[in-house]
Amino acid sequence: MEGFIIALFVCMVLALISKYLSIPAIPFYILAGIVLGKAGLGIVQSDEISQFFSEIGLLFLLFFMGLGLKLDQMLADPSKLLTAGIIGLVVDMGIGFTAAYLLGFSLMEAFIIGVAFYITSTAIVITTLIENRKLMMKEAELIIWLEVFEDIVLIIIIALLSSGDKDLLFFFLKIVLGLGILYVISHYGKEFLVSILDRDDETPILFTFAAVLTTASLAILFGIPDTLMVIALGAALATTDPDAFEQHARPFKDVFLVMFFVFFGVTIDFASGMDLYAIAILCLLAVFSKLISGMLIGLAIYGSALSGLEIWANTISRGEFSIALAVLYGSAVVGTVIAALVIVTTLVGSFMAKYSTSMRRGIVSHSRRKALVHRPHNSGR
Amino acid sequence: MALRSQNLPGVGTKYEFKTDKGDTVAIFFTRTGTIQMYTLQKGCKTPSAAEMTPVEARRLGNILTGAIIEADQESVEVAFSALADLRVTIHTFYIPKAIIGKTIEDLQIRAKTGATVIAVSRHDHNIINPSPSFVFEDGDAVLVIGESDQIKKFESEIMVE
Repeated sequence: MEGFIIALFVCMVLALISKYLSIPAIPFYILAGIVLGKAGLGIVQSDEISQFFSEIGLLFLLFFMGLGLKLDQMLADPSKLLTAGIIGLVVDMGIGFTAAYLLGFSLMEAFIIGVAFYITSTAIVITTLIENRKLMMKEAELIIWLEVFEDIVLIIIIALLSSGDKDLLFFFLKIVLGLGILYVISHYGKEFLVSILDRDDETPILFTFAAVLTTASLAILFGIPDTLMVIALGAALATTDPDAFEQHARPFKDVFLVMFFVFFGVTIDFASGMDLYAIAILCLLAVFSKLISGMLIGLAIYGSALSGLEIWANTISRGEFSIALAVLYGSAVVGTVIAALVIVTTLVGSFMAKYSTSMRRGIVSHSRRKALVHRPHNSGR
Repeated sequence: MALRSQNLPGVGTKYEFKTDKGDTVAIFFTRTGTIQMYTLQKGCKTPSAAEMTPVEARRLGNILTGAIIEADQESVEVAFSALADLRVTIHTFYIPKAIIGKTIEDLQIRAKTGATVIAVSRHDHNIINPSPSFVFEDGDAVLVIGESDQIKKFESEIMVE
């Protein structure tokens, strides 16, 4: 318990520092976990309490993702989004998977690393777009919708991974039944739900908390993935009053998700025989693969490499979803790789996002200067 | 002028319009509670941005609707579209030395200008709906309501040094 309180206190200080420096806090939380935990000082141990809190953090992260899924208002031009989304999926996941497999990971491990390569951190990407005042860039809208696209891919991957070796038809039927119940509740109980949310006592916040935990435990009871059901719950409730649910779920998400990150760091163990070169190669590739996919998307959608550079600069950071994958499906070694991946990409990503505009300007003026220098030579001859 | 609004997941609401001269203005009400305004001049590639708190954004809105805001005096014009476009202006003034010690009745404010004093801010407290026998003191700030013409009249006839 003392360790838990130390972790909480350290996080609070780190949150202040990261806000002051305006860089994302996620890498700091993981680093704090690594320093305090198994791989570092060993002050904080993962126990039942911390596991429970981490689990709640994960559930609320997924619930929030579900709340944000408003499929009815997808981009005006869905084919553009689809092209960009598929380029990212194939390039990033392909590079991550191939590299990990060649470095000696098993097929399953390589797949998880591939997905972690692909899924960027929605939280970091969106916050940096706002903080760096880039919302009006023509690429910004595409980047924002790409995050939604990635969420959908992630849902499909979670569904695939959790189906595993079970009886597929029965499993599928149970999921459909679960989704049906959630739909019926949110459709026919809409007025009741809204009337609860409108109250200004503790009921809305209690209801939100209970809804997420009840859905998760019922899902486990019936042998269907709780992760999937919590996302579905979010998506179903998004049809009633998503803003109110977000407001009531936010405190839980904020606190428990930080715990989730820290205790992910705590459980990292460098002693598990990890090749540091392999980790370094994967981290570099993670930055590089987004450059390739960003460039391809920029050229395909805007016909401009500069747009691609901008997309790259704003989508380097991997974060919460990569970690969630590591926790849900990864082995200890995969966990270490993804921890390093998240720390390196978020730091590089926040730096690139901040300076991409000046970088862009530098490239443009450089090529202009080159053109000016070249012209007199050509005309002289 | 074509205005389009859009919900961006995780970000908030976006309003964008192009002026007749080809400049673009975009406003984002973000989830974090701040409001970002971007302006992009025709032919320019990089927009300039300003981030505002809700209070600042409201002030900017007042300026843009054409209300006069001087230093500490502000004016808000409210239009009620449901009531046949009823327009009401509310304006604050710091009273001049000339009317200290006089009452609202003495000054014949409503008879002369048509505007009504609805509140007075004195030091740290407010007097709502002051009676005709209300006496102005040094440092009072008044809140006046009326049509914009009535407010102008109030400014030129009562608020004179």
